[in-house]
Amino acid sequence: MTSPETLTLVMSGAFTGFVGALLGLGGGVFLVPLLALGLNLPIRTAIAASLISVIATSSASSTVNLNRGLVNLRLGLVLEVATSIGGLGGGVLATLLSQRQLFLVFGSTLVAMGLLVVLRSGRRNVIADSEADPGPLGGRLQEGEQTYVYRVKRLPLGLGASFGAGAISGLLGVGGGIVKVPALNTFCGVPIRVAAATSAFMIGVTAAASSFIYWSRGDISLVTSAAVALGALPAGLLGARFSERIDPRSLKMLMAAVLLVVGARMAWEGL
Amino acid sequence: MSPAPGLDRAIEVVLMAGLVSSAALLLFGLLGGDPGVLRLGILLLMVTPAGRVVVLSIGLLRQRDFLFGLLSLWILAVLGLSMLIGARLL
Repeated sequence: MTSPETLTLVMSGAFTGFVGALLGLGGGVFLVPLLALGLNLPIRTAIAASLISVIATSSASSTVNLNRGLVNLRLGLVLEVATSIGGLGGGVLATLLSQRQLFLVFGSTLVAMGLLVVLRSGRRNVIADSEADPGPLGGRLQEGEQTYVYRVKRLPLGLGASFGAGAISGLLGVGGGIVKVPALNTFCGVPIRVAAATSAFMIGVTAAASSFIYWSRGDISLVTSAAVALGALPAGLLGARFSERIDPRSLKMLMAAVLLVVGARMAWEGL
Repeated sequence: MSPAPGLDRAIEVVLMAGLVSSAALLLFGLLGGDPGVLRLGILLLMVTPAGRVVVLSIGLLRQRDFLFGLLSLWILAVLGLSMLIGARLL
């Protein structure tokens, strides 16, 4: 592979790693079409490279987020279990729906979530009283001088979203953060920064589980995967650091924009 | 503040160690055009999340948090299963 191509791959990984770390997504929703349509790579190579890049982004951003106490380990664990069962259920879903129906359902769900994020962007999930009880799965969040407390509400909806994320990630080669982050934020009362950090933390495990399967099929192109991972790694660190400087409302608006664009594109393909 | 105190730091160290060593291997592999080094770097990156689940499981069990320790072991089992499939042992 010539070096301009390698450089393009590194840049693609860096872009998706940065946005992924910022919003708690793996970045697969951008990277797979970028590699497959933009660089004409075979779809399986694109998915496999994207999974490797998701692992790099997840691990890099998590080192920053763990240090800041933004990752909710217990909530992440509970949701990870639902995601892993969803991963197994994905095979069943694939037999029930055609690829077009899947795109249509998934795309319109994302658009609906995007609209919901916009509508509820003014609301804050946190309690300003630092002595309040966060409950078994909630936690505390330090923002400047102020310590906020949040509780996890409507856990079944969060579990459902994580199950769905697991199911689609195996089928479409995405991490599933695009479903988890808005669901955790709008339905479960988790602050956007914690939702993003916890999702980014989980996604590495989801992507790793799928990556072994792609490895055994020989779909992992060494140079392609190495190049995107080398881009995603520093960008993931940078994105996680940069996220602190953006106010929660702007983060939500960015999330909504991503949901609307990606959702509309997917639904369009299903029509 | 984390709901599982003390574990954040341990996981952070594992992730950082996995990232730094795999990044070094990937960089040398790409520059030197050595597929063996690249393969090792990518494999190391792929097992890094498993490493952090191992640390989380041990940490939770040592804190006698058996419910969450069990959930963590479940995740580890799922990862182990896909590794076995990946290695064509299943």
